[in-house]
Amino acid sequence: MTSIGWRIVKLVAILAIVVWSVGPILIGISTSVSTQREVNAVPTRWVPEEPTLNAYHDLLGGTSSQRAGGTVTEKGTFTRSISNSAFLSVVSTAIILVVSTMAAYAFGRLRFRFGGALLAILVGTMIVPIFVVVISLFKILADHQLIDSRRGLIMVFVATLSPLATWLLYTQVREMPAEPEEAALIDGCARWQAFVRIVIPQMSSGIAAVAAIIVLSVWGEFLIPLLLTSTMNAKPVTVQITEYVGKYTTNYPILAAAGVLALIPPALLALVLNRRITGMLAGSS
Amino acid sequence: MRLPWNTGDGDRTARETLILGWILVIPAMLAVAALILYPMVHGFQQSIRSGGFLFGEQPGYVGLRNYRDVIHDPASRDAMRHTLEYVVLAVTLEMVLGILVAVTLHRVFRGRGLVLAVLILPWALPSVVSGVLWRRVFDPDNGLLNSLLMQLHVISHPHVWLASGRGAIVYITLVHVWGVLPLVSLIFLAGLQSIPEEVYSASSVDGAGPLRQFRYVTLPLLRPSMAIALTVGTLLAISIFDEIFVLNGTALNTRSILIQVYNTTFAQADFAHGTALAFLLAAVTAVFGALYALVLRRATV
Amino acid sequence: MSGTISLESVSKRFPGGVLAVDDLSLEVEPGEFLVLVGPSGCGKTTALRMVAGLEPVTSGQIRINDRVVTRLPPRHRDIAMVFQNYALYAHMPVRGNMGFGLKMAGVPKGEIRRRVDEAAAMLGLTELLDRKPRQLSGGQRQRVAMGRAIVREPSAFLMDEPLSNLDAKLRVEMRGEIIRVQRRIAAPTLYVTHDQTEAMTMGDRVAILRDGVLQQLGTPDEIYDHPVNVFVAGFIGSPSMNLITATLEGSAATFGGSRLDLPRRAGLAAYDGRQIVLGIRPEDFDTAGAGALELTTNRVESLGSELVAYLDCGQPGVEITARLERRAGVEEGRPVRLAVDLDRLYFFDPESGAAIA
Repeated sequence: MTSIGWRIVKLVAILAIVVWSVGPILIGISTSVSTQREVNAVPTRWVPEEPTLNAYHDLLGGTSSQRAGGTVTEKGTFTRSISNSAFLSVVSTAIILVVSTMAAYAFGRLRFRFGGALLAILVGTMIVPIFVVVISLFKILADHQLIDSRRGLIMVFVATLSPLATWLLYTQVREMPAEPEEAALIDGCARWQAFVRIVIPQMSSGIAAVAAIIVLSVWGEFLIPLLLTSTMNAKPVTVQITEYVGKYTTNYPILAAAGVLALIPPALLALVLNRRITGMLAGSS
Repeated sequence: MRLPWNTGDGDRTARETLILGWILVIPAMLAVAALILYPMVHGFQQSIRSGGFLFGEQPGYVGLRNYRDVIHDPASRDAMRHTLEYVVLAVTLEMVLGILVAVTLHRVFRGRGLVLAVLILPWALPSVVSGVLWRRVFDPDNGLLNSLLMQLHVISHPHVWLASGRGAIVYITLVHVWGVLPLVSLIFLAGLQSIPEEVYSASSVDGAGPLRQFRYVTLPLLRPSMAIALTVGTLLAISIFDEIFVLNGTALNTRSILIQVYNTTFAQADFAHGTALAFLLAAVTAVFGALYALVLRRATV
Repeated sequence: MSGTISLESVSKRFPGGVLAVDDLSLEVEPGEFLVLVGPSGCGKTTALRMVAGLEPVTSGQIRINDRVVTRLPPRHRDIAMVFQNYALYAHMPVRGNMGFGLKMAGVPKGEIRRRVDEAAAMLGLTELLDRKPRQLSGGQRQRVAMGRAIVREPSAFLMDEPLSNLDAKLRVEMRGEIIRVQRRIAAPTLYVTHDQTEAMTMGDRVAILRDGVLQQLGTPDEIYDHPVNVFVAGFIGSPSMNLITATLEGSAATFGGSRLDLPRRAGLAAYDGRQIVLGIRPEDFDTAGAGALELTTNRVESLGSELVAYLDCGQPGVEITARLERRAGVEEGRPVRLAVDLDRLYFFDPESGAAIA
């Protein structure tokens, strides 16, 4: 195969990757601005003739079941679910970062007894499927009035995602040179002061990358909130969106609109912090 | 006086380090202990009891009876079979496509940054949302796939993709792979970039063309990455849930183990059996995890 | 600001069992620049880190200014250290880096500013004060690292191979810079390096370490002229001293096909008829003079101002190195007669390696 031949193959491959990655999102957008009739037509239309924002109005403003072909929405419900997701993501990530940065530093830099064992236990919990825990978790949370609450969910997220964050930051810490910290010790810092003033700034780009990954993880959480929420108190958008999937028929434009709105925050985050994220994911493997 | 490395007596620095270490680690360990380890133990207790504790019943312990029930239960077995199919299919696709993507994006080219940014989008989205986006493709009445195939005259009438046996598994796997591929691709990309240029130059001098280089240089040196991708892919596929739930609910033909657990525990309110099945999955996962860890250690020369 | 650093029977055993430093005792006098030198893994860095407080001491005592600091954390020892990789604080500008230690000590802002400006002026860093480390070159970073140490006006200075990461030319320049600064500050300095040239040109005294054990402590001249064992003799001096195993017969040493008549030495009498190790420095050869050796030239390297010749003396496995003048008339493959400065011969015991008086 000639060199030009390979170039064409590569170009085709790159195009395929882009189409494959973005295609379903575009389909979702296109669906969300179509009407139900266009969607239900056989054969169906890919791109609507007259794009409309009706589905978004219905989604956010509420609709009756007759008009919406099986999907019922109430005003403000979806908005509330988005705000829940946002709140949960931001607060959980903040707490997780604090907890994990401390733990990662302790495991990676300070050598102390049982440190290795504790790290192994922490990382080991990542393998456990959440189901073995969630039922008892339900009871424990119920006993403390934390069911169906944002606070309860945040606590669970902290417990389930801190191991991952700690692991990612731990690999960071181990690769960082230790000398600046030692210089700080000589310059008059106690260990904890060196940690706060020197090591944390040193870790800052790693922390940013992990923050992005954790925000995306919390935003995408489905199973845990599915089981631990019932009212709109804490229900995130991932759970809310499944309620738009009708049992027999589905109003696709509304569902797609929900999907599009639900994917905008993570997509924006991924695009903006793309370099950091790919760096961290690739680096820690 | 001889002092051991890091205990306290008299050595202020070592003592400071020990105390600080524990303080820094306690929040994480506490969260995990309280909300994962303790419930896990509690959950295990439930799995060897009978009846649902949420109803206040506390009948006696039944040992491993629940586990045996679960292993023999046909619905569970189907779920296990499906999960195996998901895993095998997903991991194979991920490995093959992952390497291809990584190879394509390895060398710098104009616009590469943009392509990488776009690449991780499927991974960044919640898998539930992925399911929602793909749902239109597979809808039996007027999904895009059916329409496309009919327009191309490949099929004459709409297929019910998600309801048929094999097909449904394949399509759900496709959606799952769509979301996992970016991660696997990055793993292989990292692996590729750790292969020094000189190896390729040397093999070029020895007369190897691109295909040969790929087979005899790239692939062998990617073994550690393959081990990692294999582990991650297996762990993610074995606990597949979100995509199935949003695309096909608890329909029997596509149930994975976790869907089965969900069904047993919540739809049937049978916490004991549900938890037993969940622990079974946890045990299998742990075994796989350990196996792959061993393989990984062997693979990294 | 004057004071001493003293190590008293300091040892370090690592958890795995490795004895990195074995019973090391030495004292750095007020204002002295003492170089700790040795090959990689000889324990010099470990020793330095123990003085800094970055490595716990297994046994022994460390004093700074007569104050026992062995168990104290680094910040209570009143020391400053310059690292091999500079260890600058990447997120702070140069001014912040240099002032950090003073800030931690609670020194008032005005005073910090004054001291930083002063040190920066001394090191030529004044224009760089607002730059971040990543915007600086290696040499500049090195100077910032030194500035950071100087402003603290510590009781003792520690330096861990600060020049190793610089290119050759910069290294020579910085050598002078470090000495100049040290003379002004006049604090006792413990300087670690693996480079014997640095040791010889910079140190007031030099301590040579091997496998954790102190070999010799003395001025550069003492070490050069009176090496206490084979290791020191071979380590100091470039190219290294020729060390030849020879047999003592009466008052002559024989090796290969050569025979060298030796001057009278009291200690040699005991070795008559036995083997000794004969040491001849490459620069002690000449084309004319007494004490001649018949050698065959293997190879010649011209350094412009002089030649280095590699010669065969007839003993298998031994190649003699000689530094000669340009016009020495040495040709590859040809035999040549070279004279040895008989007053500058060294003798060592073949088993213990110790110098023979």
